[in-house]
Amino acid sequence: MKTITNNKTIQDLFRKLGIILIVTCGTVSCNSCSDFNEVELPASQLAGESVYENTTTANAVMAGIYSKLRDGGLLTGLPAGMSNQLGHYADELDFYGSASASTIPFYNNALLPTTRDMSSLWNSTYNIIYSCNAVIEGVATSQSLPQQDRDRLTGEALLVRSLMHFYLANLYGAIPYVTSTDYKINTTITKTEVNDLYSLLVNDLLQAIELLPQQFSTPLKVIPNQVVAKALLARVYLYSGLWAEASDMASAVIGNQNLIWETQLDQVFLKESSSTIWQLASATAGKNTNEGATFIFETAPPPFTALSNAFVGAFEQGDLRREYWVTEVTGDNQVWYRPNKYQQKTTTATSMEYSIMFRLAEQYLIRAEARVRQGDLIGAADDLNKVRERAGLTGSTATTVETLLEAILAERRVELFTEMGQRFFDLKRYGILDMELIGVKPGWNSTDSLFPLPEAELLANPNLLPQNPGY
Amino acid sequence: MKIFSANNGLRLLFYSFVLASCPPAASARAHASPPYSVGYYQQTISGTVSDTSGPLPGVSVLVKNSGISTISDVNGNFQLRAAIGDTLVFSFIGYKEVTRVATSPVMAVVLQEDAAQLQELVINAGYYSVKDKERTGSIARITAADIEKQPVSNVLATMQGRMAGVNITQKTGVPGGGFDILIRGQNSLRGEGNSPMYIIDGVPYSSQSVGNSLTSNIIPGDANPLSNLNPQEIESIEVLKDADATAIYGSRGANGVVLITTKKGKAGKVTYSGSLSSGFGSVTRFMDLMNTPQYLEMRTEAFANDGITQYPANAYDINGTWDQSRNTDWQKELLGGTAGITQVSLSASGGSEQTRFLLSANYRTESTVYPGDFEYRRKGMRFAVNHNSPDNRFSLSFTGGYSLQDNNQPGTDLTFDALRLAPNAPALYNPDGSLNWENSTWDNPLRMLEGKYTSNSGDLTTNAVLTWKIWKGLAFRSNLGFTDLNYSESTTSPSTIYNPAYGAGPEYSSIYVSNTARRSWIAEPQLSWEGQLRDLQLKALVGTTFQELTNTQLVQSGTGFTSNALIYNLSAATTKNILNNDRTVYRYQAGFARVNLNWKGKYIMNLTGRRDGSSRFGPSRRFANFGAVGMAWLFSREKLFTESTILSFGKLRGSYGTSGNDQIGDYQYLNTYTSTGINYNGTIGLQPSRLFNPDFGWETNKKLEVALETGFLKDRVFLTASWYRNRSSNQLVGIPLPGTTGFTSIQANLGATVQNQGTELTLRTINIDNGAFSWITAANISFAKNKLIAFPGLESSTYSQQYAIGKPLNIVMLYEYTGLDPETGTYQFRDVDGDGVISSPNDKKYIADFNPQYYGGIQNTFSYKGITLDFLFQFVKQDNWNPNYMLGMPGAMVNQPVAALDRWQQPGDISSFQQYSSGTRADVLNAFSRYTQSSAAVSDASYIRLKNLSVSYALPQAWTQQWKCRLFVEAQNLLTITSYDGADPEFTATGYLPPLKMITTGIQLTF
Repeated sequence: MKTITNNKTIQDLFRKLGIILIVTCGTVSCNSCSDFNEVELPASQLAGESVYENTTTANAVMAGIYSKLRDGGLLTGLPAGMSNQLGHYADELDFYGSASASTIPFYNNALLPTTRDMSSLWNSTYNIIYSCNAVIEGVATSQSLPQQDRDRLTGEALLVRSLMHFYLANLYGAIPYVTSTDYKINTTITKTEVNDLYSLLVNDLLQAIELLPQQFSTPLKVIPNQVVAKALLARVYLYSGLWAEASDMASAVIGNQNLIWETQLDQVFLKESSSTIWQLASATAGKNTNEGATFIFETAPPPFTALSNAFVGAFEQGDLRREYWVTEVTGDNQVWYRPNKYQQKTTTATSMEYSIMFRLAEQYLIRAEARVRQGDLIGAADDLNKVRERAGLTGSTATTVETLLEAILAERRVELFTEMGQRFFDLKRYGILDMELIGVKPGWNSTDSLFPLPEAELLANPNLLPQNPGY
Repeated sequence: MKIFSANNGLRLLFYSFVLASCPPAASARAHASPPYSVGYYQQTISGTVSDTSGPLPGVSVLVKNSGISTISDVNGNFQLRAAIGDTLVFSFIGYKEVTRVATSPVMAVVLQEDAAQLQELVINAGYYSVKDKERTGSIARITAADIEKQPVSNVLATMQGRMAGVNITQKTGVPGGGFDILIRGQNSLRGEGNSPMYIIDGVPYSSQSVGNSLTSNIIPGDANPLSNLNPQEIESIEVLKDADATAIYGSRGANGVVLITTKKGKAGKVTYSGSLSSGFGSVTRFMDLMNTPQYLEMRTEAFANDGITQYPANAYDINGTWDQSRNTDWQKELLGGTAGITQVSLSASGGSEQTRFLLSANYRTESTVYPGDFEYRRKGMRFAVNHNSPDNRFSLSFTGGYSLQDNNQPGTDLTFDALRLAPNAPALYNPDGSLNWENSTWDNPLRMLEGKYTSNSGDLTTNAVLTWKIWKGLAFRSNLGFTDLNYSESTTSPSTIYNPAYGAGPEYSSIYVSNTARRSWIAEPQLSWEGQLRDLQLKALVGTTFQELTNTQLVQSGTGFTSNALIYNLSAATTKNILNNDRTVYRYQAGFARVNLNWKGKYIMNLTGRRDGSSRFGPSRRFANFGAVGMAWLFSREKLFTESTILSFGKLRGSYGTSGNDQIGDYQYLNTYTSTGINYNGTIGLQPSRLFNPDFGWETNKKLEVALETGFLKDRVFLTASWYRNRSSNQLVGIPLPGTTGFTSIQANLGATVQNQGTELTLRTINIDNGAFSWITAANISFAKNKLIAFPGLESSTYSQQYAIGKPLNIVMLYEYTGLDPETGTYQFRDVDGDGVISSPNDKKYIADFNPQYYGGIQNTFSYKGITLDFLFQFVKQDNWNPNYMLGMPGAMVNQPVAALDRWQQPGDISSFQQYSSGTRADVLNAFSRYTQSSAAVSDASYIRLKNLSVSYALPQAWTQQWKCRLFVEAQNLLTITSYDGADPEFTATGYLPPLKMITTGIQLTF
């Protein structure tokens, strides 16, 4: 047949190919056998040991932590964060969004231990705590990081770790206080009572104050320094009833030369505001706050959330905050109100607002309250009136301990609304959750003062039992 | 060090290859010079080959002791150059070989069918093939005959109900979606560590999902790459189950091995074949949900029960905002469409006995049941060529296939909305055709259709096998292959998915895009030897494997566009983020061997083993050994039975051995930091990747099997029964950790042992076969028991609420529902610990088992002349979550099954559902929440399904002459018989579109 010669050539070719192949295979494999199974690190990962040998990469771990605070977990301005959820849980906001939204159980005061959102709040918070501990441990064993950076990074990590524990304790009551990355310890960890936790946090924050630099490293105060730790410590002292310490610490913050009282209400929430103690930088140039995107709506009825009428009614006549920080939206022959502290819903040419974590007004109100409790009624009224004055109000008429405390609570309500659940925590501290919320919130029960511990967590670590009452 | 010793071993193996192959290579070359010289007497010899029914095309005709050969043409004619006196050998598969001395220039040869040879079915066992009757391992098989008549797009769907011990569940009815496949049960505690190994034409094919959860909302568990393969291109699928068959796959064989062999060319005249089919698909079952009057009655009563007289502002369904006379069946509205299916395939096949080819192309489109214009498209081409030298000493087989998939689907599955929306929810569209938002009082479900899911993939798989018979029984073979999969996927959220009240313009539009490239290559040089020592036949094989798989992925997002029309252009986005940019490498090397001893075809022993090294494990745990022994006794070949007229075949076989599992993901043993990809103050963050453990190793699976295979009445009745027990230990798991550890799990080996034990029966009977009419029945049934037999420290571990000793893995612990409290009208549960409070975990002691108790299929094939009717009933006996688990609380603003009307209204009522509540009362809500985690949320989800029905009619040859024409109707999931009160009983995760019912009709032409 005519194909014979063809076949011969092909056959020969293949034979040669075969030999080449075998020889190549053999040689290649013999040369590379011993390390064939060694693979290089994936492109996206960095060996753990090397991260803390270099200031840039160590800073990047803290940057990762700050971006997580901003974009998720308890303190984000997104709907899943406490500014929105606790606003609904207490009496600041009314919900108008979809029946399947994660805010519904908060609005109905019907949280369940099995809700996935409850687990993710808990887990994401402890994930940040893990990262903080990883920084503290990594910096401690680092060979080559300069002392100055070691101190600063440890201080920042201690601060964020304390902030996370503080919020957890206020939401869940007794919680595990985690100071190590060792999962063997953390798997069976037990709960720490709230008061004991506060004293641990005080120690951590005192240490952070020692370690952190006095000056802000950035003009926009997006990386915390010593004064931020003091501001948090003032709050922790207030919550633990250590009035003298609270008032001293607040004084230290108020007296800090880097912070200047902002007298214009419409400047308070701008990113250049001089009274901001710490704020979170936006992810990209031109991006504004998550709070703005969550709360601002243009048409009525509101598609997601709006301030409750009762809340809007709580402003005194002539309170400028009602004008500057609350905006009316009319539609369907009805008026709705939205928070307008952050005024930018979308991106702007350059970012105008950052999410503020701590600001000066709270420190005045902390000191006012601490002063009342210590009997310094005049000093208390001064601090209270400092805040009232900016809102265009006359001095408070309260003169007694009781009336002053009431006035401070009322002031906190209209000054600090929709800021990470301050209102809910205040009602809880004052012990008047039931009094204020029964009748206003149909789903409210006394046991709702604490969130349920996630059921998955109790199953994974029975040392966390019992579940909080009511769940 | 361990590594060195292992590698020295491999190196030795290689040297032996090189040594073994070089000298024969030289001799082979010498031999390659023409073994004969052109003879003086040579002339043309021609003739015809036929069998009893007429001319026989494709018969190989070989001049003995020469390289000359040819093949008979379509009329059975052949011609070649030979001399008178030369010996010609005529061979054709299925016929007895005929040897004739050429005595004249024209010859007529008649071939006899070889009944014995027809029965000698040869099974692919991966590295070797084995006669079905003489195999020692447990291998299930389906062939093109069964695969081709199913109008489905995924290979795994074609296996459902047809193989004993193979349990397959379809996860979604959306085309391109995935399947769950378990071969002989769940071996690993890790849900994702139970996939079998897939090998397409000798090349491992990673079934690890491609894509990214950010970009594939609609497909549960990401896209399954096996959908790249067109079932019509497959010749056979073999599933290797026991130790004897899987140990040679070592660390990857624990969960079974699926060998997919694609079609190859057949010698003879070139045959062209084309087929076209089209049809439709629709949802198999809907749930019986409340209509508006029933629903409103429920809502009114719920608020009354709660003592709320002033309906809340957001209770639009009942506070007068929505029209209470509207009534929409949302299931029909959102999922009630019909999907169109069209499939075209073309092929050409032919060649000589030495070189054969097959070229095939196919095209398939499938639209969806959702409203709107969505479509899945697949185009594929495949090429196979086989060549062998005339002396058969050298052969080459090459297959290559490329397929393109385009999938456009809605960004989100509408199934959940279809079940939950209030029946009086507003109209979908305004009169002007725009989406109706009803003054911001609802999230129009069709907004989700504005967001699109698109995926495109290009998948190349190629394989070459070179075989070279070096010396008598000694052969060298190398399997070489590579795969290249490029997959891109995107999900868009244009601003139009938002309520216009948000005032969101295109500056809010966003897109997530992921691009994945997966490349792998494999080289498997092997030496095999066959020899005969008197009555003992010996076969041996040694080989090594080198494999590398590289995955690269880039996930990006873009937000803020100037126009929604630019949404697919990332450069037009104001904010662009790179969310993941990663490249991972998996490397794997192994040495493997097999020795097969066969004494007189009666006593057979098969020894297999493998030493594996994988980059997925830390340096100290990188290598491991696996091995098995299999034996068979063909007792029907003993004298006692050879004369038997009843027993025609009998074999007892057994095997024991180990295989392993390395499905753990790459780099898990390293302590690393990963980039968050997110900017903070000019720095891109870093985060700890995981809690790490450098010392985890392989999971090992010890498998034991005993089986009996018997044929009666000339094999007209063929029955096999096998019993197996697999024990999987050294469990490699992400041990769940409490969130306080910062993560939710850590990888480690756990001293737990999981046992899978079961019995599989298959029966094939030829009920009638009288030439014109035949009726064949094939049935299989598998009984399987999965059990956790050891777990040191279970009680104090994080698994204490997930597993129980002596119980299967796939269980949930639930409250035990004890009925309704007739006084309070709320659900009650057994207070196991008697502390007066129903609480987890102490009261969650009721165990629901989600493993199927038994499953199988019964297939009947009837043929009469050109008509063939074939149907398969698939059945599963199982429990699963019922609607109580997935729907919300009766009384809240979600629709309910009609059954929920039977509720408690006043003290003394005995009913099945508790009192309605809008969701504000903690006691009712808690009772409901417990109810969803109680025995009441699980019910029987067994079903019998007419999985496949096909009728085909081949037009009589007398009409079509040279042509063959076949008309067919094929249907899948045509009928489902079940008492399950949810939608479809086949699902793994709730809220996704169930498998569709499909009917297609078509025509196939061959000439």
